[in-house]
Amino acid sequence: MDTKAKLNEVFRDVFDDETIEITDEMTADDIDAWDSLTHVQLVVAVEEAFKCKFSTVEVMKLKNVGEFIKLIDRKTGNA
Amino acid sequence: MSDERLRADESVSKLLKMANALIKDPEKESRADRSREPLKIAVLGTHSIQHYVRVLRLYLDRAGIYTDIYEGEYDGINMDVLDDDSELYKFKPDAVILMMRYSDLHMEKAEDVDAEMAYLKNLWSHLDKIQGVTVLQTNFASPVMRPFGGLEALYADSMQSLIRRLNMRLTEEHPSNVHVVDMEYLSSVYGKNEWFDEASYFLTKQGFSLNCMGMVANEMTNIINAVFRHTNKCLVLDLDNTLWGGVVGDDGPLGIEIDPHNAVGEAYRHFQKYVLALKKRGVILAVNSKNDEEVAKEPFIKNSDMILKLDDIACFCANWNDKASNMQYIAKSLNIGIDTLVFFDDNPAEREIVKKFCPEVTVIDVPTDAENYVKALDEAAAFEWASITKEDRERSDSYIQNAKREEMKSSFVNYDEYLKALEMKGKCGLVGDAELERFAQLTNKSNQFNLRTQRYSEGQIADMCKDEDTRCIYVSLTDKFSAYGVISCIVLRRGDKVEGFGDKDCFIDNWCMSCRVLKRGVEDFAFNAVKEEARRMGCTRIIGEYIPTKKNGMVESFYAKMGFSALEDNARVLYEYKLDDKVEEKKTWIQKQS
Repeated sequence: MDTKAKLNEVFRDVFDDETIEITDEMTADDIDAWDSLTHVQLVVAVEEAFKCKFSTVEVMKLKNVGEFIKLIDRKTGNA
Repeated sequence: MSDERLRADESVSKLLKMANALIKDPEKESRADRSREPLKIAVLGTHSIQHYVRVLRLYLDRAGIYTDIYEGEYDGINMDVLDDDSELYKFKPDAVILMMRYSDLHMEKAEDVDAEMAYLKNLWSHLDKIQGVTVLQTNFASPVMRPFGGLEALYADSMQSLIRRLNMRLTEEHPSNVHVVDMEYLSSVYGKNEWFDEASYFLTKQGFSLNCMGMVANEMTNIINAVFRHTNKCLVLDLDNTLWGGVVGDDGPLGIEIDPHNAVGEAYRHFQKYVLALKKRGVILAVNSKNDEEVAKEPFIKNSDMILKLDDIACFCANWNDKASNMQYIAKSLNIGIDTLVFFDDNPAEREIVKKFCPEVTVIDVPTDAENYVKALDEAAAFEWASITKEDRERSDSYIQNAKREEMKSSFVNYDEYLKALEMKGKCGLVGDAELERFAQLTNKSNQFNLRTQRYSEGQIADMCKDEDTRCIYVSLTDKFSAYGVISCIVLRRGDKVEGFGDKDCFIDNWCMSCRVLKRGVEDFAFNAVKEEARRMGCTRIIGEYIPTKKNGMVESFYAKMGFSALEDNARVLYEYKLDDKVEEKKTWIQKQS
């Protein structure tokens, strides 16, 4: 499974919504349940699923889902 | 506790998911008894606690505890605690959790520890305004950094030393209603490198890594359960391959593995040492083994490598009956509830039988290898108590002395002779500082000899002691064999404070007694004190009430036996005892001490 598909599953799990289809341009504005609280939950879930740890700057710089995928690939050595 | 308890090391995303589901649909997701009044808990922190509160609610729920939780604002401790009109005081919590971390401290020299202590004590004394409140105060996990490097342990004013000193002062100076949560221990066990997640602190102000939330919530759940709900009393042990390696019936008392010069023997000795430490803090020990009794006892008598001796075991149950029946027997002969037993047996089949036929018993998942027994029993936190009193430390011996007393009993022709020979000395009086902790403990733990099963926290009892219309009477006992300490607690209330009665009536709000001293005349001794106190209050009549529970059937006709007469009432079981001028003392074999 590629990063995007796996990340999509994490999104569905965290936001408890089986209809979510992530896109590169997607941001927190596109998902109702995506607030500061669930954001923390999302980051932990991604760290757990991809077995990596993000730094302060990395998390702060994230602008959209596409960048999130790139970051994960870089951290896990897929890029 | 409920069977669906969560482990301390569950994955954080799973926990958050379950926690969110519980909030969304409590009716469906909750495993707690929601018909009871919820336990009201306030969580306040200097850092972000939103996620933690969700996870804590989940752990409490899975332990069967229905809660109503107040979540303080971010860094809102001072705002809530120091302001008398705050939401916190309107909420009226049963427990307040104060969560802090090392970065909140301002300490550069040894004297600064005093200032931090003064700050914390001020918070606690403000919280005392909430009647009967229990405070869970975290101590401080010292950080990974060491500005003094390897010299931290050499100087009292290093960061590590100052935090150690503050933690020690919390241990030494906490008031009895403040329970210190040992974050320093938890972080050490978890590993401080993982515990501290600086990125998540700087980004979203998490006090510790989200991955540790389960561990902390598990710890606090154990504490809250012990303070407000349930505590276990007795560890029931198997023998072969549990206390020693091998089978005594085959290998003989000297052939079993308990030899300190052998690695396997050492592992079993390590376990026995831990069990002995449990006994010394007040856990009662019992044996439940499939063996001939004489053969089973031989290692305790003949093998000097054994750390546990026969005298450490309060109830020795070795026979060929099934172990579930033996559990019933052990509970009965020790006079404790079967739900206070913890079973430790290396044989999974025996564990299953006990689980199936005695579901109230806590059954430990025993690992295959003896070297891991201590860790398994320790992590199960089966003996989490609200406090350890002087009485606890002496208790398990008193159960053993009981067995000796029983032996003595058989040598007397009649019971009076026996009671006389016990040379009992009793003391009764109004509760003071010295008795407060034990009075609260006994009042909240005793189930069987308990007339109204009223529970009061230590704080409430302290308040009642100051109230001129209430009397808290304790009874303590010693005999030839042991000192029991406080074994009976009685609360009297002037009648006009109780619906349906007047100021000349003395209402017995609660009367409980430890079952260790049944049939010794303690009730009669105590009743003399009750009559005396009621007279002193200017009352002419004593009112008793029996509120039945699942466990207190033994005192159903207690008041009738004590000479009370039943009062007509449709809803309640009430009795009266008229105090007239003639002073009739109940005869007892307990010599009164002042």
